[in-house]
Amino acid sequence: MIEVRELSASYGAVHALRDVTFTAPTGEVTAVLGANGAGKTTLLRTITGLVRARSGSATYDGRELTRTAPELMPRLGIAHVPEGRGVITELTVEENLRLGGLGRGRGKAGAAQLERVYGLFPAVADRRTALAHTLSGGERQMLVLGRALMAEPDVLLLDEPSLGLAPRIVAQMFELVQSLVADEGLTVLLVEQNARSALSIAHRGVVLNLGRVVVDDRAEVLAGDDQLRHAYLGF
Amino acid sequence: MQQLVNTLLGGLTLGMVYAAFALALVMIWRSTRIVNFAQAPMAMVTTFIALRIIEAGHSYWLGFAAALLAGLLLGALVERVLVRPVEGKAEINAVILTLGLFIVLHALASVVFGNRYRSFPAAFGIRGMEVGDMTIALTGFGIFTILAVLAVMGLLVLLFRFTDLGLRMRASAYNQEVARLLGVRVGHMLTLGWALASLVGSLAGLLIAGGSLVHPGYMDAVVVYGFVAAVLGGLDSPAGAVVGGLLLGVSLSLVSGYVGSELVALAALAILMVVLLLRPQGLFAQARERRV
Amino acid sequence: MTRLGRLLRSHLVVAALGVVMIVLVLSSVNDFRAVQLTQMAYLGIAAGGLTILTGLNGQISLGHGALMAIGAYTTALLLQDDEPALPLLVILVVATAVTLAVGALIGIAAARLHGPYLAGATLALAVAVPGIALYFGDALGGEQGLRVRVPDAPGWVLDAAYFVTGQDLTPSKYVAYLGWFTLVVAYVALANLSRSRVGRRWRAVRDDDVAAEVAGIGLGRARVSAFVVSAAAAGAAGFVMATSVRLAAPSGFSLTLSLTLLTAVVLGGLGSLTGALVGAALLTFLPGVVTDAGVGAGLDDIRAAELAPLVYGVVMVAVILLAPSGLVGSLRSVWLRHRTTVKGETP
Repeated sequence: MIEVRELSASYGAVHALRDVTFTAPTGEVTAVLGANGAGKTTLLRTITGLVRARSGSATYDGRELTRTAPELMPRLGIAHVPEGRGVITELTVEENLRLGGLGRGRGKAGAAQLERVYGLFPAVADRRTALAHTLSGGERQMLVLGRALMAEPDVLLLDEPSLGLAPRIVAQMFELVQSLVADEGLTVLLVEQNARSALSIAHRGVVLNLGRVVVDDRAEVLAGDDQLRHAYLGF
Repeated sequence: MQQLVNTLLGGLTLGMVYAAFALALVMIWRSTRIVNFAQAPMAMVTTFIALRIIEAGHSYWLGFAAALLAGLLLGALVERVLVRPVEGKAEINAVILTLGLFIVLHALASVVFGNRYRSFPAAFGIRGMEVGDMTIALTGFGIFTILAVLAVMGLLVLLFRFTDLGLRMRASAYNQEVARLLGVRVGHMLTLGWALASLVGSLAGLLIAGGSLVHPGYMDAVVVYGFVAAVLGGLDSPAGAVVGGLLLGVSLSLVSGYVGSELVALAALAILMVVLLLRPQGLFAQARERRV
Repeated sequence: MTRLGRLLRSHLVVAALGVVMIVLVLSSVNDFRAVQLTQMAYLGIAAGGLTILTGLNGQISLGHGALMAIGAYTTALLLQDDEPALPLLVILVVATAVTLAVGALIGIAAARLHGPYLAGATLALAVAVPGIALYFGDALGGEQGLRVRVPDAPGWVLDAAYFVTGQDLTPSKYVAYLGWFTLVVAYVALANLSRSRVGRRWRAVRDDDVAAEVAGIGLGRARVSAFVVSAAAAGAAGFVMATSVRLAAPSGFSLTLSLTLLTAVVLGGLGSLTGALVGAALLTFLPGVVTDAGVGAGLDDIRAAELAPLVYGVVMVAVILLAPSGLVGSLRSVWLRHRTTVKGETP
């Protein structure tokens, strides 16, 4: 369970997050929605320590995250897939994946995990020796998901995974995330502008506006509230 | 004929050293986007450490090893203490910082070791080989130079291509933020990268010094040649740095042999300008454009 | 009165005060100090040009020592005979013009480079230029260099000097006046340029080249013009150096000189002429103090002489790490902060 309590953060003089409070329950998908500039990306970056929190806290099973270095996240079982996907384009596909496996700090990155990821993403498996910059957008998204899974995380933080992808690819990817949650009890915090797709797999939804939480409710409630949808979610 | 062969051989040996020095610059450039102009005096200081040890009556190899170790430590220290605060800041700050360090190490070496020219021993013979009635300018020390640089390059390839540590170092160089999120201690990797680069620079310094004279400024021109070689290869490419070093070594050797040794630096400047203006991505660049 | 006119007038007032100061100081010091002050003048002129280039335009140059060499060698070539063919002031103009022309060539190449590439290329220039003097040893004197024969001061100058200061003008002081008046003219020109439209373009290109280009500023032209101006200053500095040292030799234009100029600029704060002058003063007078301290601490002379560069280097590193706006800039910001606090406290 990820608990965010009165979390505030700022870039210089701009308050990007103000007293954000919500809970992402274990084994569920929590969607964080809102317009561009609402603070969604900053929220994830503050949780994993890439941005310094001004006040408040974010804990994972009681452990404070905002004052923990980002490089310790994989050890805690948290995988953060940043916005823009974060493929290291100069490395090969397999090197990207191996790198994902090193973070958990449990000795050798297992061939077992590698085979499992290749099993989940056959398209990635076909390109294993290719340099990552030759991959298409959809393949890159598969690669970063697979790379995150290499560390066998318990929590997955996904930042705008659908950005720039064809609807068919988005549907496939969300289906996969859904099955990982169902089968392995993964906890997912999903930041999305594509609210409709996100709510289709989410259990809960949190809507941010100008850095504040304006709604925090069950996903069905959010999807069913016409006024809210028009005001914040754009569908 | 004999002169041409000898000029080319001399250029090849020297080119290997430039290649090593260029490689050191490239390693640092790739990981921190800084051209370490202080690489030359850093190598010089470690060579003087070797000289001290050898002059105290210890073996050449002890001095050699001590210089490499000193290079490793000096590189780590410089990155951790001086360079870390300017990483990611305006690039002019890093340039001025490395130049300031250049001046400091220069002056420090003059104060501690003195300003005189001193001869530095070579581990192997520095006489050419007799082939028939020709004397070929390939010396024992020259062969050692070539082999030593090749060995270091081989070890670096092994490290970067085939080990987890090398993978972490490359990831840190390419994308610090993603590497951090994947659990890589990027700071340690950058420190290690500077340390290894500085070790390679020290090796170049020892190889230039062997059988020749050293003084606090003896590496100053080499940093220019190393930079030109690295730019020839594209500044981002270790393999390019090596090829660039060899090309430059041979070219400068020809200039020195047939035009005049005084104009070697001018020739290097001319080569640099031609490359930067006509092919800024380097001679062997991949597709990507480069802003110079 | 136009804004530009006001500005020019304020610079001229400062310059006039400067001239009075120069006369007061130079007439009260001995020849040894006058020679030192001449050194300060030529370092100040070159550092002034460099601070325009680096501070206002964001280009770095490690090759200004080499540009000074061009000015100095031009001067030396024109001052080979006892009776020079040209008046000294004309030689100053020629030395400046020749360096300006070379600077334009380098500037055109440099305009396409940035940061470390530009630093590397100009570093190569600094290392390469002394070799030219060695290669063309017959014309340029090789390792020994060229002697410079400074003509005696014209009669009217001697009379005027006696009239103003009440002393006879020694040759060293003649050169010192020459150097300092050159500095005043150079600084007035640089200050006006930096406040003018051209200067604003330089700053715009430094701050954000993309935005500047969108605003219709030709990047290449702005960069080349900044380089040309600063090269001209280096040429004038080379003239003063040649007449003061009375020698143009490769050893005078080592890499150290170029790095030293950069130190002056960094010490003073990038982009400030006052800073450049303060930097030049430190470079001139610090070595004596530091070297004496070193000798006092038991070092031999040669080693003690290396303490001064050690201090510059350490200060340069410290400035970058602790006070990136340089000494003058930092003092100014401390003063401004102090002033605002004082103001803030009064209701």
